[in-house]
Amino acid sequence: MDSITTAASVVAAGLAVGLGAIGPGIGQGSAAQGAVEGIARQPEAEGKIRGTLLLSFAFMESLTIYGLVVALVLLFANPFAG
Amino acid sequence: MLVFPLLQPKNDSPKGGDLLLEKLEEPGNPAESNLELAYSVEVAKASSDEYVRLQQRIFRAALIVSVLAVTVSALFFELQVSISLLVGALSGVLYLRILSRSIGKLGQNSKSVSKIQLLIPVILVLAATKLSQIDLLPALLGFLLYKPSLIFQFLLESRLKA
Repeated sequence: MDSITTAASVVAAGLAVGLGAIGPGIGQGSAAQGAVEGIARQPEAEGKIRGTLLLSFAFMESLTIYGLVVALVLLFANPFAG
Repeated sequence: MLVFPLLQPKNDSPKGGDLLLEKLEEPGNPAESNLELAYSVEVAKASSDEYVRLQQRIFRAALIVSVLAVTVSALFFELQVSISLLVGALSGVLYLRILSRSIGKLGQNSKSVSKIQLLIPVILVLAATKLSQIDLLPALLGFLLYKPSLIFQFLLESRLKA
């Protein structure tokens, strides 16, 4: 692997993880805040709120995982390496 | 001049204010408050049981989807592909388990959801790149096999609400 490909792969891996984690991070923070407020207001609906939070977290975090996987593939199994 | 009437103190208290104060000053009935406390504990327990049941449904569905996918891949592809798919599916279920446990602790023991479950795909990709027995693509596809069960559960819940 030549040095330009290596440098581009490392930069792309960093960008993939960093940019891919911004949106889900903000979304998860606001979702967790809303869930905790909802549980505090309505303790009887705790199970439903936690269930909805689990589903939404799993969907949101998959976006982070996609970026993470792309970064790891670029670093450890680079398809552009000659 | 126009502001002056607004600045005058109003002595007439709203209706029911005194009544509310009297009610607050009254000593509460201990038996009644105990009943309310017991009722709220019962409701909270039933609600947490509902969350546990939801988790069990999701894990059961994820395991069924994983077994089906591994069986189909064993029939149509090589053994290494189905082993990679199985490893990925098991790591996906483990990821979901850690995520659900950290969400269950939210608000009781911790203020935020932990990110330790993100180590699972990292370890999976590193293992797939280092070990020759595991292929990367089937392992990643296997890891994402928890999604169909989540989508199914989401659709089921939205249909029940409607």
